[in-house]
Amino acid sequence: MVAIVDYGVGNLMAIQNIIKKVGGNSVIASDPAIIQQAERIILPGVGSFGYCMERLTKQDLIPVLQEEVFGNKKKILGLCVGAQMMTEESEEGGSRGLGWVQAKTIKFDEAKVPILPHMEWTDVRFKNYTSLGRGFEEGGRFYFVHSYHFEFYQARQVLATAHFGYDFACVFQRENIFGVQFHPEKSHRFGMRLFENFLSL
Amino acid sequence: MRRVRVIPVIMIDSGRAVVTRRFSKPVYVGDPINSIKIFNDKEVDELVILDITDKKKQKEPDFKLIEKMASESFMPLAYGGHVTRITEAERLINCGIEKISFNTSLFAHPDVVRELSYRNGKQSVIASLDVKKNWWGQYEVKTRNGKQGVGKNLEAIVKQVLDLGVGEIFLNSIDRDGALAGYDEILVGIVARQSNVPVIACGGACTICDFVNAIKIAKASAVAAGAMFFFKGGFNAVLVNYPDQRTLTTELYTNLG
Amino acid sequence: MLVEEETTTPTTLGTYRICTKTVMDTTVPGITFNEKGECNFCGYYNHLASRTVLRDPQLLQNEFDKAIDTIKKAGKNKSFDCILGISGGLDSTYLSLLAKRNGLRPLLVHFDNGWNSEKAIRNIENIVSHLGFELHTFVMDWEEFRDIQRAYFKASVVDVEVPTDQFIFAALHRLAYRNKIRYILAGNNVVSESINPEGWVYKNKLDLVNLKSIHKRYGRLKLKKLPRLGLYERYFYEAIRGIQTVNLLDLIPYRKGKVKQEIQDELGWKDYGGKHYESTFTRFYQGYYLPEKFNIDKRRAHWSNLILSGQATREEALADLAGPTYPLKDQLADRDYTIKKLGFDLSEWQTIMTAPAVTHESFDTDKNPKHQFFYLLFRAALFLPVRLLRSLSILPKPETIGSTW
Repeated sequence: MVAIVDYGVGNLMAIQNIIKKVGGNSVIASDPAIIQQAERIILPGVGSFGYCMERLTKQDLIPVLQEEVFGNKKKILGLCVGAQMMTEESEEGGSRGLGWVQAKTIKFDEAKVPILPHMEWTDVRFKNYTSLGRGFEEGGRFYFVHSYHFEFYQARQVLATAHFGYDFACVFQRENIFGVQFHPEKSHRFGMRLFENFLSL
Repeated sequence: MRRVRVIPVIMIDSGRAVVTRRFSKPVYVGDPINSIKIFNDKEVDELVILDITDKKKQKEPDFKLIEKMASESFMPLAYGGHVTRITEAERLINCGIEKISFNTSLFAHPDVVRELSYRNGKQSVIASLDVKKNWWGQYEVKTRNGKQGVGKNLEAIVKQVLDLGVGEIFLNSIDRDGALAGYDEILVGIVARQSNVPVIACGGACTICDFVNAIKIAKASAVAAGAMFFFKGGFNAVLVNYPDQRTLTTELYTNLG
Repeated sequence: MLVEEETTTPTTLGTYRICTKTVMDTTVPGITFNEKGECNFCGYYNHLASRTVLRDPQLLQNEFDKAIDTIKKAGKNKSFDCILGISGGLDSTYLSLLAKRNGLRPLLVHFDNGWNSEKAIRNIENIVSHLGFELHTFVMDWEEFRDIQRAYFKASVVDVEVPTDQFIFAALHRLAYRNKIRYILAGNNVVSESINPEGWVYKNKLDLVNLKSIHKRYGRLKLKKLPRLGLYERYFYEAIRGIQTVNLLDLIPYRKGKVKQEIQDELGWKDYGGKHYESTFTRFYQGYYLPEKFNIDKRRAHWSNLILSGQATREEALADLAGPTYPLKDQLADRDYTIKKLGFDLSEWQTIMTAPAVTHESFDTDKNPKHQFFYLLFRAALFLPVRLLRSLSILPKPETIGSTW
C-alpha cells in the first residue's frame, strides 16, 4: 500500500490513477496514522517551494514523515516540488527545505536556457539501469514543468540527468529517499515504468 | 533537440465532442471519453478540454465527465469552460486536471484567477484569449464563446491577463478556427513578442509545417489543434490522429533551429 | 445402448465432451457427436465449404472476375464503384488491398460506435495513406447508442453486438444509397467466420423489431438519429435500389497467416490480439463478458473454423484455450472502462453479471407472425409494380455476385 501525502497540494488523483494502472494500491492520506501504515510513501508537490513547505508544516505531517523515512526506513518518492522540498533550501523565496538530502534547489541559469519555465517533454538519461532506472536503457522522456532544479554536492546521489540549456540533475536517491524533478504521473508509459520500479524496490 | 508541445484540443458541447468552424457549426465527432482514450494511447504531449456548452444549459463544469476523461489520461490535462469559482477550480484539480484555462472569467472573475495562481502556482493557470478580426481588420478579444467583445487593444489586454499571474496564454484565432488553412502567424507573433509566459498557438493548423512556422516565425512556445487531429482525408472523415514520435522528430523538432 | 445414447444426446448430466477434430465442446448448446467423436459443426462446415470455398478453383476465379467486372461497370463515370466498410481489422484491411489490386474504386467507410481502439484507428489511417482511397466516417450518436447498449446489458441477452452489427450495415446501405453506389464489399468469409452456434449469437442480426423491443423495455432515450435497416428498409435498399452486399473473400484462396503478412508488409498493419479485438468493446464482450456471464468462449468457434479450413492445428487451439482470452489485468481494465463509459454503477453491474440469461426470442422479433404478415402483404403489393419497373430498366435488376451462404 502506497500513501500519497495529502497536504492540500498537487494532482493526487492522477498519481492514484497511474499507480492503479500499474497494478499497485494507494491511498490519499492526510492522516498521519494512515501514512504510518503504508509500506511506501509518495510526496507530491506543485507550485512554489515556499508555499508547499508552509502547507506541509501547517498540516503537521513533517514529524510522521521524518519518523517513517529515517526511523522505519520506508521508501519515499518525491515528485517535482515534493522532491525539491527534500533538499536543504531553495532559491525560490529563500525557503528552507526538509534537508533530507545534501543538495539545494536553484533557479535555472536564465542566460543559458531558451525560456522559463521549462515546460515540455524532455529526454532523461539514467546513469545505471537498476533501481528507478530499470528498463530505461533506451532512454525515456518525461514531462517537466519547473523553473528551479536540484544541485547536488555529491554526484553519486544523482541517478539521472536531463538537458535544458545545460545538463541538470533530475532523479536522485539517498538510500530509501528518492526524488524526481519531472511528473511521472503525467508521462505515459515512461512514468508507468518509473512507478513500477518504485513499487518493486 | 527540444520537444515542443503539440496539444490536441477536445471541445465538448453538452457532453458531446465537437469540432467547430469559426466557433459555430459544431460537427459531432463522437464520445469524448473514447476520444481522450485514443489520444492517450497515442501518447500525446498534453491535451486541452474545452467545454463550450451554452451557459443557459450548463452553469458549472461537468465534473463527472471530466473525472472520467481524466482517469483515462496519463499526460497533462488542461480544462476550460464555466469555471467561475475557486472551489470549482480546486474540484477540477482534484479530478485530475493540471491546468485551468480561463476565458470569460479573466474579465468577469479575475480574483478567481489570481487566487488559483497563488494557491496552486502559475503553472496551473492558463489565460485563454479568443481573438477575431473586426470589419476594420483590427484584432478584437472576445469572450462568451466569441459572442462578446472585451476590447480592441490586444497589447493592453495581454498585459492585463499577465498581471493576474497566469502561467501560459492559449491564443485562439476565431477566424482560423476549423479552417485547416494555417495559423494566424501575425496574431501569434504579436502576443508571443509581448508575453513573458509561454504562448500556445491555436486555430487553423493543418500540417506539421504550420507548427514549425508558428514556433520558428511567430515564436509560439507550443502548438494546439482541434480539427487537424479529428479529421482525415479530403472528405474530412472523423478519425482521431496524431503524428508519431518519429514524424515529430524529423518534421518538427529538428526543423526548429 | 450406451454408444447410441452418446451420439444422440448432447451431454449426459455432468459429462464433459470435446470434439476429436475441432475444439467445440459441451459448452456449445446443441452440440452432438458422431461415432468418431466428431461434432455436428464439422459436418456443417464441410457442407458449407463444399458449396463455397471448396468448389473448382477456376469456377471461383470466374465468379471473382465476374464480380469485379460487374462492380466496375456499375461504377463507370461515378466517383466510386463500391463501398467498403473498414474497421482496422484483418479481413476488411485485406479486402481494401484486394480492391486496390483489382482496380476497384471504393469509398472506404468507417463506422465509429465510440469504441475504437487506437490500434484500429492507426490501421485505418495507414490504409488510407497507403492506398489513396477516400474515407468517410459514420459517427454514431454516442448517447443513443449507449442507451441501446445499456438496454442490451440489462436485458441479459447474449448478443450485445447486435446493435453495432445492425447499425454498421444500416450506415453502409444508407451511404451506398446516397452516393448512388450499388455494391457493398464485405469481409465475411467461410474459413474463419462460419461457425456460429445457435445460442452463442442472435443469428437474425438485422432484426430491427427485436432491437426496438429490447430498447423499449430497458432504454430511456428516444431513438432519433440511428440508421435503420429493418425488413422494410432492407427491401427498399436491396429490392428497389439494387444495393447488394458482395462477399469476395470466399472466392480467393484466403489463408489468414499469409494475408496477415501481406497487410503488415504493404500497409503497416498492426495486430491487436484476438479476432475482432480491434474494437475495445468486442474485446471486452468476447474476452470477458461472454466467458464470465454465459460460459461462452468464442475462441472455440474461431479456432474450430480454422482447424476445419486447414489453417490451424488442434494442438495450437488447445494450447491457446488453456490460457485466458487475454491478460486478466487488461480484462479488468476493459471492464472498468466499459462500466465507466456506459454509466453503470458497481451494484448495477453486479446485477447484470449475475442475472440469468434471457433469450432474444423472449422479446418481439420480426419473425413474429404479425410482423411477417404485414411485411409479406407489403411485398405482395409491390411485387408487380417492381417487376414492371425492372423490366423497363427504371429499377435495377438484381444480380447476385460474390459468394453467398
